[in-house]
This record gives sequence, structure tokens and C-alpha cells, in this order.
Amino acid sequence: METIASVQSKAERGFKYALLAPSVIWIIALTFFPILAAVRYSFANYVLGEGITAYVGFSNYARLLTDSGFWYAIFITVIFVGITVPIEVCIGFVLAWIITIGVPGKKLFRPILTAPLFTMEVAIGYLGVTLFTDQGGLFSTILGALGIHIEWLSTASGGLAAAMILDIWIWTPFVFLMSLATLSAIPNDIFDAAMLEASSHWQVFFHVAIPLAWPVLTVAILSRVLEGLKSFGLPYALTSGGPGTSTQLFSVMADLTTIQFTDFGRGSAMGILYLIMVSIVITFFFKQMRKRID
Amino acid sequence: MSQDHSKDRFEELSAGFLAGRISRRHFIGQAAKLGISAALLSRIVSAQAYAEDGNLMDSSPDYPNEAPITKERIEFLKTKPYKGQTITVLVLKATVGDGLKYWVPKWEEETGGKVNVAEVPIDTLHQQIFSDLQTTHRYDAYMTGAWFYGDFFVPKEPYIIEVGPYLKDPKYPSWSPDDWLPAMKTLYSWQGKVYGVLFDGDCQILYYRRDVLEKAENQQKFKDKVGYDLPNPPKTNKQMFDVANFFTGWDWNGDGQNDWGIALHAKVNEQGFFHFLTLAAPYVCSPNNKYFWFNPDTMKPLINSEGHLRALEDYVKFLPCGPKEAISWTLGQGWNLFLSGQAVLEPTWGDLPTFAQDPKESKVKGKVGATIIPGTTEAYDPIKGQWDKFDLNSVGNVNGGSWHCVISRFSKKKDPTYDFLAFMATKKNAIYNCTHGFTGVQPGMKFEYFPPVGTGKVEEWVEQGWDPEEAKRYLDAYYQNLSLPAQETYLRIPGAAEYWHELDVRVSGVLAGQTQPKAALDDCAQAWERITERYGRDKQKKLYAESFA
Repeated sequence: METIASVQSKAERGFKYALLAPSVIWIIALTFFPILAAVRYSFANYVLGEGITAYVGFSNYARLLTDSGFWYAIFITVIFVGITVPIEVCIGFVLAWIITIGVPGKKLFRPILTAPLFTMEVAIGYLGVTLFTDQGGLFSTILGALGIHIEWLSTASGGLAAAMILDIWIWTPFVFLMSLATLSAIPNDIFDAAMLEASSHWQVFFHVAIPLAWPVLTVAILSRVLEGLKSFGLPYALTSGGPGTSTQLFSVMADLTTIQFTDFGRGSAMGILYLIMVSIVITFFFKQMRKRID
Repeated sequence: MSQDHSKDRFEELSAGFLAGRISRRHFIGQAAKLGISAALLSRIVSAQAYAEDGNLMDSSPDYPNEAPITKERIEFLKTKPYKGQTITVLVLKATVGDGLKYWVPKWEEETGGKVNVAEVPIDTLHQQIFSDLQTTHRYDAYMTGAWFYGDFFVPKEPYIIEVGPYLKDPKYPSWSPDDWLPAMKTLYSWQGKVYGVLFDGDCQILYYRRDVLEKAENQQKFKDKVGYDLPNPPKTNKQMFDVANFFTGWDWNGDGQNDWGIALHAKVNEQGFFHFLTLAAPYVCSPNNKYFWFNPDTMKPLINSEGHLRALEDYVKFLPCGPKEAISWTLGQGWNLFLSGQAVLEPTWGDLPTFAQDPKESKVKGKVGATIIPGTTEAYDPIKGQWDKFDLNSVGNVNGGSWHCVISRFSKKKDPTYDFLAFMATKKNAIYNCTHGFTGVQPGMKFEYFPPVGTGKVEEWVEQGWDPEEAKRYLDAYYQNLSLPAQETYLRIPGAAEYWHELDVRVSGVLAGQTQPKAALDDCAQAWERITERYGRDKQKKLYAESFA
């Protein structure tokens, strides 16, 4: 005979499942099925208007693994993320620290520093065309007046550098906001005590602020790495991946292959390979971060 | 009776007949008396055939937004036939899209219908069209580039509908596919059936600064430096290079800054590769060979032939004759260089001389010359694998989008959709489009040209702000290009956008100095093979043959 407690327990469990169900359905519908569909397409030859014309085994993967364009796109993406994220984290955290220790007019700084964050990446990309163009662009004109001539948009390095500068401009405020929230949450007593022991703000910065903010900073770094690996709108609007494919990040290549040219087979294989690579990197990253936190 | 009088009388008769004021029998009888050949008469008569039941009138005061107009159409419009109906059209976010939007309120006013226009940029247009055709069916019509056509015909039942049946119904706006120049009609058709409704007619010709090439001082300097008379205009690729090179790097316009020889644009995904296609045409196509893209028997790519290679090497030489940043320029940026008076040459589309008429945008009104793309003295036949010599091999092209709308077979409102598209194709509106730069539309119909080719009047162009001589030069060159016996064929098979993209990025890579021309074209050929394999070689071969039909 069921006791009242067991009936209550069943009801509670049912209620829990009912609450969880929407999330589970959501994840299955929007994550699980698309990944399964991508896996299926990655083994297929897909033609617009005809659908899957044949299953081709691992040939989409094999072709990609020997495709220099694919590896170049990965390489460029790693360079892009590897340079922009550390700079964004450093500048963002230092700015947050400066605001935290108190500078005159800090209320004014906050909205100015965070403004780019609320602008669409594509818009910034198109803005970049006007900033970096040789034909009267702001950057080119200012640097030209200083005797510095950089071929921003007509060379691979110039195009990539321009995209990185804009990316840093947009996303540094994100790190700044997260860092500011973290540093603001640390009790002032800790900083005050540290200041008595330390000879400068920078000692407190390196030995107190960074270690205490590190768990949140880790999340900020991870978010930026993940977003950077998917970066699309800005570089696409700025250079369209050119000249040639020299600034073609992985996401731009994936978009061209899968969306524009509807090669779902090759595009899905690209996505799956990228997912595997990113998962390995992120797992390694987490392990390292956890070690530091411990 | 003088010859001039006969000509005037015949023009009067033709205009009367085409406008429906005189009968077919009377027209033929009178024209025969003037000694007009039966062959010519049959062409004129067939041009009118589409509206022969319609009692075509020059115009109607009640419906001033379209002309000519049939009596049936007038009666039809009195009922506000599409009141309460809304159609949705997907267009290119560019001048051609603006051109279409211009006509929306006018059509709505006449018919009572509504038009929703969705705009997308060129780099996502293809994807938007075909994802809609495969899934959502939100749009009744799509603005398409001519190179999308092959993709419409992959399914057994094409994605788009033929418009022939509508053309015979006089209650719809009156226009006739027989008015097209043949090279242009091909781009709107598939296997002889018309699927597209007239809008744009693209081709690239060479625009140049007449005033600069005519200047005696420049002519003397050129002769002293290059060793022969300044060609005005350039007739061969070599002459074009010599002119571009000569005018690069010195202040020939007297504004205190160094100027350029040529304006180009080569940003990836911005149609820059059309420059290469235009340059390559006379190196590959000739009276001996019409195949530019693939060997029709094997579907093996011809893109890495010796002729294509020579053109790409030429293109590399041209680049320093303009700002280096042209590698990353969009089309508009290339035009700006010419319109601001800083470049002597620009091979491009007809938007350029149209924009040149606008004093707000242009410093070169009345100074622009136009000629066909310079030819070559030898062309490589990629099928036979040999170079052929010519005195001058000039080749026409229809490079560009020739942007126009097609109707989805899934549309539930095909009739109002066709009505709207045909409304823009009526003679009055077509002329308006091709004389106004903001529409992005170029002339593809005979009536848009001046006699003896067409029935256009220079006054119509002057009314729209054109310099009369410039309009004549532009139309003469445009027509000459479209009617050259040797033409560069257009790629209209499934995956054309993808084939072209692979070419686009490689050409851009070569211009940026990342790869060598030969390696880039060989690599491109390999990429094309992969695309052909994906679509199926035999299917592509069949559609390639059909695209020529």
C-alpha cells in the first residue's frame, strides 16, 4: 500500500519533470536534431532542387582534410582569435580596474566604453570600410598625416589587422563590463587591506584583483573565444574574405559553402570537423583554467 | 519620291501600325509600295502580334503610368482588378531594387493591388531565393541574375513559370519579347520559352574620357612616350593597356593630384570578376570558337586554357594603372573614380554613363565616350588547342546580372504578379528605367535604341537630363557590342554562382599577389570539376547544351 509520502514524492517528481520538459524538448529540437541532420548530410551528396542524390561515405571529410583552403580558414581563424581575445581581455580588465580604484569622471567613461557593444557587427564592418579606405578614410588619413601608409584593405595582413582592430573595439567593452561587475563585488576591505601591504596599485592588481576575478574572467575568456571562433558579420562586411581568400575565416567559408552554394554535404562535414576541433580545444582550456582556479 | 521622304513615311506607317492606329493590311500594302522588303515587314508584323487582339493605343489619359495600352487593358483597370490582393517580391538591394520600388505606388494606384518588396544584398540573394523555393514559398516573384537560371531548371517541373500565355492576353500591360535584341532575349529565356519579364539588359563596354584622349597635348605626349598615335578610342587590348598605363601617375586633369589610367573594382563577392570575363572574351571566343566555360562534350573546364591565362596576365598588368585598393573596391567605388574625373578608362556597365549625367555625382557629363571592349589579334581555341590569328577579334558580351523578375511556380497570385512585372516592361516605363541612373537598368530592347536600329528618340533621353551626343555614343556602342557576330556565351547552368565564386576568389588572389595566374586557373579548374561532379556531369552537360538553345 502506497504511503502518503511516496505519493507526494511521485507528485513532486512528476512536477519536476513537467518543469524540465520544455527545456529538454527545446534542446532536443534545436540542438540534437540539427546535429543529427548535419551528421547525415555530411555523408551525402546534396544538390539544390534534387536533395540528397547519393550517400558518399567519408568522402566529404576526406576531401576537406586534404583541402588547403579549409586548413587556411582554420589557421586564419585561430590567428584572429589568438590575437584579439588576449588584447580584449587585457584592455577590458585594466580599464575595469582603473574605474574600480576610482578615476575622475568614471560615470562618463562607462557609457562611452560600452557603446560599441550595442552596435551590430555587420554595421561596424561596413563602417570599417569607410574608416580604412585609402580614399579619405579616417584611419588612413590620420596615419597618412603621420607619414604612415598601410594598405589596409588591399592586402591580407592589412585586411586582417583592420578586422582585428574593429573586433577589439567592439568586444573589449564586454570584458570590461564583466570585469567591472566582478571587481565591484569584491569587498573594499580586501583591497584596502592589500593596499596597506602593497607598494602600488599594480601590485594589488596582479596579486589580488586578478586572482580574485579569475573565475569570472575565465568565463569572459571562454565566451570571447567561442564568439571569436564564430565571428562572421564583421570580417564578411569588411573584406568579404578577400583579397582572394586571405581573410576568409572559417565561419565565412562555412557560410559560402553551406548557405550560399547549398553544398550541404561538404558544409555539414566542415561543421562537424570544426565542432570536434573546438570541443577538444575547449575541454583542454577548461582543464587548464580549473587547474589555475584550484 | 526622295529616299528621305520614303524613310519618314515608313517610320510614320510603322509607328501607326505598332500603336494600333492603322490596320495590318493597310500597313503591309503601304509599306510594300515604299519598297520595304517582305522579310523586314514580317519582323515588324510579328512584333505587334502579341497585342494584335488588343487594339493598342499610344496612351490613355486615365492611365498615364503605362504606354502603349490596349483597350482591353483600360477596361480591365477600371475594375481595380487586384483590390485587396498583396504580392511579395524579393529584390536585390541595389539600384535595380530601387528601380523596381519606384514603380510600386504607380502600379498600386492603377490596379488597387499592393506590393511588398523585400530587399537582400547580392551575396545572399541566391540563397534567399532558393531556400524560399524549397521551403517557405513566401515570395511571388524574385529578382534574379541571369546566371541563376540553370538552378531554376533542376527540378523536373521548373521553379519558375513561363510568361508566354500572359503575353497573348491583351488585358495585361503590353510589351513584346520580339523587341529584345537577340543576345538579351536569350538571357530571359530557357529553351526558347520566355520566363523573365523585361527589366535590365547588362553588358560591359569601355567608357573613356573623350576630352582627355582628344587633347592635342596629351596626344603628343603619348606619341613621344609610347611611339604611336594615341588611339581614340583604343581598339585592341594592348592599346587599352598603353592608354591606361600612359595616363597613370601624373596630373592630367590639373587638380593638383596624380590621376589614374583605369578604374576597376575587384572586391570578392562584388561582381569584380566580370572584369576578367570581359577581358578574356576576345582571347577565347572568336568566329572559330564559342565555348568559353566548358568543353560541351566532356564538361571539362576550359577556364585554365591559354587564352584565359593570357587575359588574367593582362588583368594583373592593368591593376597598377588604378589605385591598388581597387582590389577591395565595390562596384560603386570603381565608378566614383571615373565620375570624379580621376580615371581615363573604365570597362563596366551602362550605369556609369547614366550616373555621369547627374551633375551632383559626376564631373564628366558630356565628356564620356563609349566603345566596344577592345579586341585582340589572336584568340586561343580551347577545343582545338591552338591560337588563331585575326586582324582584330572583337567579341560582344552580356556580362552582368541583366537583373529581372521571374514568377515562382508556388505563387498563389501569379496574375497580379505578372501584371506588376509587365507594367514595368511597357515601352514608356522601360525607357524611363534605362534613362535614369537610379534604376540601375540598361537598354535591352530595340525600341530603346535610335533609328535605324530602334524607334527611340534622342529627345526622350534629353528629357531625362542626358547630353544628346553622349546618349548616342552610349547606345551606339551598346548596340554594337550586343550585335557583334562573335559573342561570349553566358554561364547559365546549375551552380553557376558557385563556379563564378571559385573563379572570383582566385582572380582576386592573383591580383593581390598571393598566387600566380597559371596556378590559380589550374586550381580553379579543379574546383570546377568538383562542382560538376557534385551536380552530376551528365546532367550538367545536358543543361549546358540547353542553356545555349
